[in-house]
Amino acid sequence: MPIKGGGFSRKSQASSDVPDSSMADIAFLLLIFFMVTTVFQKDRDRPIIWPEAEATQKIDEKLKNILNIWVQRDGSIFINDRPYAMGEVSSVVAPLYAASDRALVISIRSDREVQYNVIDLLQKQLVAAGVVRVVFATELEQRMQRERR
Amino acid sequence: MAVLDKKKSKVSDKVPSSSMADIAFLLLIFFLVTTTFPKDKGLAIVLPEEGGEVQVSAQNILHIIIQPNGLVEVKRGDSQQVQVVAARDIEGIWRQDVSENDNLIAAVKTHPQAPYRFMVDVLDALHTAGAERISLQLFEG
Repeated sequence: MPIKGGGFSRKSQASSDVPDSSMADIAFLLLIFFMVTTVFQKDRDRPIIWPEAEATQKIDEKLKNILNIWVQRDGSIFINDRPYAMGEVSSVVAPLYAASDRALVISIRSDREVQYNVIDLLQKQLVAAGVVRVVFATELEQRMQRERR
Repeated sequence: MAVLDKKKSKVSDKVPSSSMADIAFLLLIFFLVTTTFPKDKGLAIVLPEEGGEVQVSAQNILHIIIQPNGLVEVKRGDSQQVQVVAARDIEGIWRQDVSENDNLIAAVKTHPQAPYRFMVDVLDALHTAGAERISLQLFEG
């Protein structure tokens, strides 16, 4: 009596399925990789108290075309996390403006108590750099708040 | 029936892991779509280009002078009459004056020692009133 299969009745141990239990791990690895490598903002927030305005509007411009100029309460100016003197602003902004294909928008993020002559000098620096589109960054003021004032 | 007894149960005792990747991607795409980043917000203004000074008739200028204490002086054209108001009243003044003169320009002159927020308050009032021709200057004298 011949044995069926010549005695090799054991099946192959190698699975014919693609292993899919680790696919979730791969997905999460990709997710975490992109989370870690994505950079959204170039500069960190400076400690300022925002001025408030009721007419605050969202700025319809790509994030990479917005340059923040921070003015702290003591009048010190920060661009991209570095402090600059007032006289340097124009020469810092001008090459960035040229690199952005004249699309750069300056967001002046100034403390509410800064003396206006600082802001005026800053505007003159920006005009000298050829930048004309400027945003005075503000927080949205609610009408209720305003009436209390 | 010995043959029937040998058949194994069809129900698997393993947690199905093939759809786990689908769930992970579903979550990933869900969060990608629902995430919004805070947009920059503020009061937009266009500065004049260098050397681009334009002569404007004095009658078309509404002088708004911001004092260090936050009070606002309003002067119309070349008249010497001064009206002292609060920043929020600028909105009504602009609305009324612009209805009389379409070419009106708001010249916001801020005292060098005045805090920035008072200028923002006036700019806010002008924006709220729909003003577009705004000139920001330093108050001299």
